[in-house]
Amino acid sequence: MSRLLWNGLGKLKRRDFLKACTILTAAMGLPVEMVDKVAAAIKSPQRPPVIWLHFMECTGCSESLLRASHPDIARLILDIISLEYHETLMAAAGKQAEEVLEASVKKYKGRFICVVEGAISTKDGGVYCKIGGRTSLEILKDVASQAKAVVAVGTCACFGGVQAAHPNPTGAVGVGKIITNKPLINVPGCPPNPYNILGTLVYILTFGKFPELDKYRRPKFGYGRRIHDQCERRPHFDEGRFVEQFGDEGHKKGYCLYKVGCKGPVTYANCPVVRFCDVGVWPVGSGHGCLGCTEPDFWDKMEPFYEHLPGVEVPGGQGIISKADKVGKVALGAAAVGIAAHATAGVVKKIAHKEKEE
Amino acid sequence: MMAYKRIKVWSVLLRLFHWAFALSIVTLCITGYYIHNPFALGPWEGTPTTFIMAKTRLIHFIAGFIFIAAVIVRFYLLFFGNRFERFTDFVPITPRNFKRLLATIKHYLYLSDEHVPHGGHNPLAGTVYLVMLLLSILMIFSGLFLLFPESSFWVGWGKTLFGTQQSARLVHYFFFWVFLVFSLIHVYLVVWNDIFGCEAIVSSIFSGRKFVRSDKH
Ligand code: HEM
Ligand code: SF4
Repeated sequence: MSRLLWNGLGKLKRRDFLKACTILTAAMGLPVEMVDKVAAAIKSPQRPPVIWLHFMECTGCSESLLRASHPDIARLILDIISLEYHETLMAAAGKQAEEVLEASVKKYKGRFICVVEGAISTKDGGVYCKIGGRTSLEILKDVASQAKAVVAVGTCACFGGVQAAHPNPTGAVGVGKIITNKPLINVPGCPPNPYNILGTLVYILTFGKFPELDKYRRPKFGYGRRIHDQCERRPHFDEGRFVEQFGDEGHKKGYCLYKVGCKGPVTYANCPVVRFCDVGVWPVGSGHGCLGCTEPDFWDKMEPFYEHLPGVEVPGGQGIISKADKVGKVALGAAAVGIAAHATAGVVKKIAHKEKEE
Repeated sequence: MMAYKRIKVWSVLLRLFHWAFALSIVTLCITGYYIHNPFALGPWEGTPTTFIMAKTRLIHFIAGFIFIAAVIVRFYLLFFGNRFERFTDFVPITPRNFKRLLATIKHYLYLSDEHVPHGGHNPLAGTVYLVMLLLSILMIFSGLFLLFPESSFWVGWGKTLFGTQQSARLVHYFFFWVFLVFSLIHVYLVVWNDIFGCEAIVSSIFSGRKFVRSDKH
């Protein structure tokens, strides 16, 4: 199928192919000696059949994978994996497309990797996302149950993403909430770095097993370390040089973005190392704090994006959000006032007592 | 005239705990607030480096480990300390402690003049100390989760207790305020007790000895 779709692109040059394999090997945290092994695995005729499902999403993950700025990757993915079904890329549409899905699932039963992009609606029977008359919930359960493994690509498929943000009107959830009896890898990010998606697939292909995963089932090669611990602005953090406001002197000088809400200290991802678009850019590198997009529920938990910590819901305040700072200061103030009142009462009492005694 | 006698209440270990706990909390609050809101600008480029944030964090972590040691000692003393140090002496789980709790509240509200001579902690203070000790565990687990983000042991606990690093940070920061408020009230009430009570409570945490009424003990 890939040949059908990308007939304009032609084959990768060997040099580019090896270059891409080297980058991938490095992204997986493997030594350079493994490049040959990775290249051999990619070239092997037994490429894993992949069925790529799209649910509630923006297709940004697929887009980031196929951006023209890194054509090597785009061609590589079509060369490495045999993409049997991908709504954005396939020529077929409508009923024809659904038939392809059915046929591929049947043909590769128990052997294919099911890649999921997008969240799944669960509320009201999942009616908020339907493809060809079937709900995303139905399709996922059906396809995933026959897959060898499931790879959730992007924060939506991993943790629900933006549509799962409060108040989550469609009951959107990530794949892990529904598919519990299949091996699952989460490759979160909004979008995930293409090298992490490919690295995951190539790792499975090369070694026939999953890469090491963290507690949220993210491959450790991509999500084993916090942004903050690999950030190029870290020396400014340690030295106490901060951007106080976007556009200020410190911002122009490239200081640390901690005080304008950078979530690098709490976010696991390899963005500072692998970067995006093959031109060495990533958010913090271009002067914007990390939003924490690889973390569960980041739309809710990392808000406000331009402050260091989120607000705290005031108990009984009917959704009034106050900053922890404010709550703390009010409590401290209340304690001080209470102490003053208590002390005054004590003094008054002492004086009254003395008068009685005299 | 009432008669008093001086009795030994706090062991050396408990006093060591107290001062390690108190001084580490002060240090943790000051350095922690700086980490939260680094208000002082570091030197600008070109001037000699100070690594002010790196050093503040280092001090926070050293104080953190002293804090951890202190908390472990106090938990040990809760079970194996002398009779005043054990939780059975002040947690309102027995009728005696409960009665004393009510009497203490009354006394604190100026409703009664009788200062209940407890010897050890009064049940109100003791219960609050126990709560702070439990909150300390929360501080320790969130702190170690933030400190060792690549250790599967701490990350496992961190995920179970808090979820993500961001949630742990929020918990860690929120309870920073609780420790601050506690410290303020604690110091006030101890001084108040020193004035209104007969135990000489402030010096007891240095000497380990308190005054109690000889007719009641
Ligand atoms: C009463 C005890 C403690 C208090 C009041 C306290 C206070 C604070 C505060 C206010 C922050 C800044 C949080 C933020 O705004 O992000 C912080 C950060 C931190 N604390 Fe504590 N802390 C305490 C105990 C501990 C302990 C026992 C440890 C473990 C050794 C610890 C380790 C940390 C770490 C690793 C950070 C994050 C520093 C960074 O990422 O730069 N804390 N603490
Ligand atoms: S810019 Fe963000 S990730 Fe980089 S050092 Fe500062 S706080 Fe950490």
